[in-house]
Amino acid sequence: MTSTTTSARPVLRWRVVDIAVASVIGVASSLIYWLVALISTGPWNFLEAIIPGFGGVFNGLWLFAGPLAAVIVRKPGAAIYAEVVAAVLEALMGNIWGGGATFVIGLVQGVMAELIFVILMYRKWNPSTLVLSGALSGLGCWGYSFFTNLQAIDWGGSYGIIYLLTTLVSGAVIAGILMWYLYIAIAKTGALDHFASGREVRGIAD
Amino acid sequence: MKATVSDIDSSQDASQAGSARAAVPGVRTSDGGASSLTFDHWGYKHASRRHFAVRDLSLHIEQGERVLLLGASGIGKSTILEGAAGLIGSQVDAIPAADGAQDVTAAVSDADGGLTEGRVLVGDDPVQERIGSVGLVLQDPDAQAIFQRLGDNVAFGPENLDVPRDEIWQRTRESLSSVGMGELKLEHSVLHLSGGQMQRAALAGALAMRPGVLLLDEPTANLDPDGVHQIVKAVRDVVDRRNCTMLLVEHHAEPWIDMIDRVVVLGLESENNAHSDIVNDSDHDDMDRSAFRKTVVVADGTPEEIFTDHGLDFAQLGIWVPERYRRPEDAITAISTPDEPDYPASQGEGEPLLRAHDLSIGREGTAIAEHIDLDFRPGQITALVGPNGVGKSTLSLTLAGLLKAVKGEVIAEAKLADGLVQSDPYTWKSSDLASRISYVFQNPEHQFAKGTVMEEMLLAPQRSGMPPQEAQQRADDLLERFNLKRYARVNPYTLSGGEKRRLTVAAALAAAPRVLLLDEPTFGQDRRTWMQIVRLIHSLRSDGVSIIVITHDRDLVTALDARVVELAPQGSVTSWDAGSQGSRDMAHIPVSPMDMRDETVPPSSRSPFLASLNPAFRVIGALVATLPMLVSLDWVSATVSLVLEVLLFMIAGFTPWRLVRSTWPLFIGAPGSALAVVLYGKSGGDTIWQWGLIHVTDRSVDLAVATFLRILAIGIPAIIAVLGIDATDLADSFSQVLHLPDRFVYGGLAGMRLFTVLQDDWGALTASRRSRGLGDDNAIRTFFPQAFALLVLSIRRSTTLATAMQARGFGGAGPRSHARLSVFGARDYTYMVICLSVPIIALVSAGVLGTFTFFGG
Repeated sequence: MTSTTTSARPVLRWRVVDIAVASVIGVASSLIYWLVALISTGPWNFLEAIIPGFGGVFNGLWLFAGPLAAVIVRKPGAAIYAEVVAAVLEALMGNIWGGGATFVIGLVQGVMAELIFVILMYRKWNPSTLVLSGALSGLGCWGYSFFTNLQAIDWGGSYGIIYLLTTLVSGAVIAGILMWYLYIAIAKTGALDHFASGREVRGIAD
Repeated sequence: MKATVSDIDSSQDASQAGSARAAVPGVRTSDGGASSLTFDHWGYKHASRRHFAVRDLSLHIEQGERVLLLGASGIGKSTILEGAAGLIGSQVDAIPAADGAQDVTAAVSDADGGLTEGRVLVGDDPVQERIGSVGLVLQDPDAQAIFQRLGDNVAFGPENLDVPRDEIWQRTRESLSSVGMGELKLEHSVLHLSGGQMQRAALAGALAMRPGVLLLDEPTANLDPDGVHQIVKAVRDVVDRRNCTMLLVEHHAEPWIDMIDRVVVLGLESENNAHSDIVNDSDHDDMDRSAFRKTVVVADGTPEEIFTDHGLDFAQLGIWVPERYRRPEDAITAISTPDEPDYPASQGEGEPLLRAHDLSIGREGTAIAEHIDLDFRPGQITALVGPNGVGKSTLSLTLAGLLKAVKGEVIAEAKLADGLVQSDPYTWKSSDLASRISYVFQNPEHQFAKGTVMEEMLLAPQRSGMPPQEAQQRADDLLERFNLKRYARVNPYTLSGGEKRRLTVAAALAAAPRVLLLDEPTFGQDRRTWMQIVRLIHSLRSDGVSIIVITHDRDLVTALDARVVELAPQGSVTSWDAGSQGSRDMAHIPVSPMDMRDETVPPSSRSPFLASLNPAFRVIGALVATLPMLVSLDWVSATVSLVLEVLLFMIAGFTPWRLVRSTWPLFIGAPGSALAVVLYGKSGGDTIWQWGLIHVTDRSVDLAVATFLRILAIGIPAIIAVLGIDATDLADSFSQVLHLPDRFVYGGLAGMRLFTVLQDDWGALTASRRSRGLGDDNAIRTFFPQAFALLVLSIRRSTTLATAMQARGFGGAGPRSHARLSVFGARDYTYMVICLSVPIIALVSAGVLGTFTFFGG
């Protein structure tokens, strides 16, 4: 996949369609997050019992809304917004982490996913930046876990390190590289023709 | 940019906001009144297109005029309406040229990446400066509902125009009664409206903005005859009373013709030929624009003048000519296709392939129609007719083996079952079904499963075990026959509407099924694509296929000479009686009446106290009550807060059992975390068990117990306090109490409403995948492609929704008002104090008893 970089001066003001699409990515993601939370509990506990911290490989499945919304919409705060919308909706449905707290973890993961794009001033969009975004989001997820439910575990110990590595890899792969290919596949359907990101893939000049 | 333009004929000088009304006596509106609409050398190029959709268009519509805009498919009629509504080219201010008069021809780019030339004026002002004075109603009723409650949708436009609250509700009621929906409650859920009602609600939403110009983009294309009647009547009443200017794009001019003053026919003028093309000669839906220079008006006059103009080819323009002007060649009659068998299509020939015997149909086990007996023969065309939502799809999905019969049987005869032991298609494997019975869904995007047109064609044959050469041969033949050959390598989603429709029919035929069902194959098609589809369906008779079409399109039934099976609610008048259909074969199926009851709005919490609180307070209270608990991980603070919470919730009206039931996911999640802590948690005290990295100690067990209890103590209130909050109320509260930006709050809310739509989409996707032979794969393999299809659908839906929201004036930088007031008071502060006291008491208890452990130690 060729790396793509948009023009030097991206338009950073949100249009209504940016908001609508970022929202719906959040909405669709929340449904998947909720399902994954239900389905993964069994395998998670199984993995955890065999190898400490290995449950982290699932974490990417709760991190993808941010990077996906960011690469499609390419506006400041898109990753945060999509993760928070997903979390709010998930909270309204109720899940294993409890309502209000979901909102906070969504915010943390969204901010971390957004970070790399802020640093690059919303100019570089390629598989590498998305991988970084997914991995950083994973870092946020990891940190948050040790701040809350896993306080009783030493984050610098073997469990903490393995959990960190698996979460980072899961974030980088599922929320990073897979989202890049997902974005390409969506763009090829023409559904993103309203976005510079979509027209770039379809080879339609602005 | 208020350039004075000299080259437009501005006979309506005096139509600045207030004075327009004075010019038209007898207008009873409180503001605005009719405005004129002027395209001044206007053009637009979408960012995703190589060529301008519309270019150098000059057209002036007088105030109060009612204009029907005609033109071939792809000429840019929708672009013109979007331009007239100020939805495109509106985001970036034009850079005025040094000399005012010159900037009219300079192309200006906007935030969407499109290019605008020239201007659109409402009265004398650029349309962007007259937000709200142009109302737009779009084709798809579902896409225009933004909120769950009917009243909120209508109130949305006035809110965006910063209309004071009292007036918003006054306008909302007025608008609803002017479209004949005054009797419905404002809280009525849009999910319980019929298509015609939804579209009338959209019209009311546009009217509440008191527009001087009303734009209608095929507003009845997706409606049944009753819905069409409702909309036409509502528009007519409104336009008469308010004396609005009206611009209508519509293929079916018939129902509208009495209210039309003027018909404008558009064409293209290209560089190399002086005359203007008004038609699209090719079989492809995109017009050739390589040498396109200008969008021109090729005919302009009264309906009488235009429809009697023999120089115009209405069939090629995609228009159904109104009955009174019909020439012999415009009439729709039964068609014939080459190699057609000589028996009538309404009867077919030979033994039935598929039979319904004493069949009861319904969803989730509730029968809506019973004792159905029907036969379907080879070469026969059957039309299932009846109003929207009556249950036509329920019957057809049941016949197609995609929905379980409530009672009775669907029987595939030996010739159709072709070696299968079971005669009920519902019990067949997906791959067996695909080669026998095919189903074409109403929305083509419910059906696509592959990345190219050719892969789509090969999918079902491969799944049903057809030899590869034969499958390839068949695919090539069908693509040729359906005029899709040149798109073989193209992504199916990128085809035009008519092409997508043709592809779904072609793909359904690829596995050579004996029975083909088509759900509303002519929905929203113009006459040209309509004719293509009708010919294709008719030509299948020669293959001996039994065809079942679900439709409310009378012309389609006539053209196909189909047998009619009408589903009608019990007690209602059947409208497809034999009288109007000649000697046609008819069958009636009584259906239980559609559920139109007013639902009661459920309270936003089981606790009257919680339900009475402001939603933002409920959410923040939940955070205040729980997040401080993270400071200490010990069993005392966790237990104390848990006990306090349960007591408080019991006082508020919850039973402990209800608490557990509402928070059940916690009881799955908490043991997982506790287990991790037991095995790998911080160690201390005696070692109980050690193996590999596992180290269970006294301390890790204590911490695990504390972790488990604390997850419940944090999770239970966080769920219970917010469970049941209405999303609209929450959004209002975020906007008014927390002062979050409206654009994001209501944009997010609109996205959330799609949630229910997406659930229906998921059901349709599941059925279509079974019908195409993909249903036998395991859950994981089917989940991801289907999730992808859902994501693409949802992005398209939200893009349309954004247009609908902008058409209601949403997204501007100006101030908004709020129709609904989000209030809070002493009650909410009391609640906050209670919330805060829980963690304080819990943490102090832990401190006093000496178990306080800062962040788990």
